[in-house]
Amino acid sequence: MDHRSDNPLVVYEPEQRIRMGFMTCWKLMFKSLVGSRTLIWLLFKRNITASYKQSALGVAWVILAPVIGIVSWVFMNYAGIVHPGIVKVPYPVFLLFGTAIWGLFMGFYSAAATSFTSDGTLMLQAKFPHEVLVAQQMAQMIVSMIATVFVLFVVLLIFGTFPSWRSMLFPLMVVPLFFLGTGIGMVVAVFAAVVKDVNRVVTALLGLLMFITPVIYSADLENEILQAVIWWNPLTYLINGVREIALVGRLDHPTGYILATLLSIVVFLLSWRLFFLSEQKVAERA
Amino acid sequence: MADDIVVRVEGLGKKFCRTLRRSMYYGAIDVMRSMVGVSSHPEVLRRDEFWAVDHVTFALRRGETLGLIGANGSGKSTLLRLLAGIYQPDAGRIEIKGRVSALIALGSGFHPMMTGRENIYLGAAIMGMSRRETDRKFNDIVDFADIGHFLDSPIKTYSSGMHLRLGFAIAIFSEPDILLVDEALAVGDASFQKKCLEKALRLIREGTAMILVSHATPTVERLCNNGLMLKQGRQIYWGSVEQCVQRYFHEIGQDNLTRGATPQTFGVGDVRFSNVHVYQEGRHLNDANVEFGAPIIIEFEYKFLKPTRHNNQVRVGIRTFEGREVQKIIFQERPCSQRDRYPNEHIIPLKEEGRVRVRIGSPRLFPQTFRVDLAISPLDMDLHLGGLANAALFNVVHPRHERTYLEYGNLTITEFDYDVAIS
Repeated sequence: MDHRSDNPLVVYEPEQRIRMGFMTCWKLMFKSLVGSRTLIWLLFKRNITASYKQSALGVAWVILAPVIGIVSWVFMNYAGIVHPGIVKVPYPVFLLFGTAIWGLFMGFYSAAATSFTSDGTLMLQAKFPHEVLVAQQMAQMIVSMIATVFVLFVVLLIFGTFPSWRSMLFPLMVVPLFFLGTGIGMVVAVFAAVVKDVNRVVTALLGLLMFITPVIYSADLENEILQAVIWWNPLTYLINGVREIALVGRLDHPTGYILATLLSIVVFLLSWRLFFLSEQKVAERA
Repeated sequence: MADDIVVRVEGLGKKFCRTLRRSMYYGAIDVMRSMVGVSSHPEVLRRDEFWAVDHVTFALRRGETLGLIGANGSGKSTLLRLLAGIYQPDAGRIEIKGRVSALIALGSGFHPMMTGRENIYLGAAIMGMSRRETDRKFNDIVDFADIGHFLDSPIKTYSSGMHLRLGFAIAIFSEPDILLVDEALAVGDASFQKKCLEKALRLIREGTAMILVSHATPTVERLCNNGLMLKQGRQIYWGSVEQCVQRYFHEIGQDNLTRGATPQTFGVGDVRFSNVHVYQEGRHLNDANVEFGAPIIIEFEYKFLKPTRHNNQVRVGIRTFEGREVQKIIFQERPCSQRDRYPNEHIIPLKEEGRVRVRIGSPRLFPQTFRVDLAISPLDMDLHLGGLANAALFNVVHPRHERTYLEYGNLTITEFDYDVAIS
């Protein structure tokens, strides 16, 4: 029992974190995240094994889910329901990538937003940094993202439109979407732990957001108002950026993409901070 | 912190909200406020809020054990969660020196589909143990939990006992400086309980401090040096465990006496009972608190409203406050021919009216509240001439300076001798 003598003093007081110094808080945030990597890994492993052990199709679901998701959109295209505007690649491919990338963004968001709902009771049983729950959710989401990317590349090969080696940058280009989706999701997670329907409302709102983002149609439209909205929407650049790299191999609006990336990093850091400041009030409401 | 104090709690408070709707509203407001760095003034109660833990102050040294005692809803579990760092305090301060292991729920984070081995690592990580530390203690945990060749099977296949043993083993082998235990977790078969107790005692000898939540059972008195009593979140007493448990039973007893139960007459109404008193011999007849083991006097007056020619039997029934029958004190006017049915031991003729005094010489009633029922019935008829349910209440309380009752465990021995006198 040699560890007894030099134990640091731990103090619990009301609203400790909001009275903390700015940099102290950041240090603590990183320390707490890095310090709990074992727990993140073990929880991630637990949830991954659990979810695939109990399903009949097992790991096949990772591949099947994105495939099924896109079938409906392709069908709508052939039925002539949507008018995509001018697209440079075969529309099914354009559509497939658009919806898949949007799906990744929504996936990041909802993985983060449901962090507390999936493992809420654990918070009442043990003390551990709650960002662990977010981190392990994100890790799971990244696994399904890898599967999606794999499916998309297979589709590209089938359509014979594999443009250049730069398409391989696709996964890297998704990072800003990860930051933005996770950022929004983290803040929603805290609120959703208190008021359950916050997540549903935000999910619905993000669903609407898809229609002012060039996901299923191109950014070059005749409607001026819609055009302007799309122009100012950072998601336009993030989604298009990923799709352009994958399908064409270069960016149409590099500045827009970079600005949107910076914005998403700011949103992520800010959200993480807001999360850290407020999540201590969550356990008692779970 | 001074010398070897490992837990210091000062003016600790935690509030909760009574209504779900307001709780949601306050929660959302508080989250928003803390996000923008504005205080929610947790020290102020808003509408429908109450202090679940209110101004609790105590300290605990290495190797000391503290029992948290109180009725359901008195704030014991909330206090335990505050100490574990699960809840954030709304007032006051907690200082903790050393590793805390909280046995609030056993097997936190376990997944039924994963093997025992995988779950040990997961459970240990949740308890705050590093992988290397878990590696080091792995064999001890497996041995203690006694799961044998089930180690690599999914814990879904475990019996509930194995499941709990594994959870307990992980918690106890994290070598905590402070062990927080919810007594509701006293689980498993007798031999495992003994093993747990021995392990806990060894840790305490080695310097671990323990806080045990309990409804004040003899276990607490055996295990703890100190007691802290909570009532509706407030700290009523902090001090020696004997005093604390006495205080607790006293509170419950007094509550029972004041809540009382209204006497109810039954039977045909030919007899009336009055002036019922239960008290300790030598004490005032209006003091319904009787020390454990002391002689008990039950006194009452009866009056036959109609003359009777039957051979009557008088019954004084003692029930627990909850209604479980403990003992019947019976005597009759004349010996009865049906010897197999009636003991014919206490033969006492009754007058038209009079006073009955029953003396129980050495009762073995374990400290709690009891009710007394009275009835007079003819031996040859299946009815009551008169009866009074809940005629009186009395408390058996702990003797001031003794722990003799501990020898009896939590058992009320219901066979005892009594004398009856009529005046």
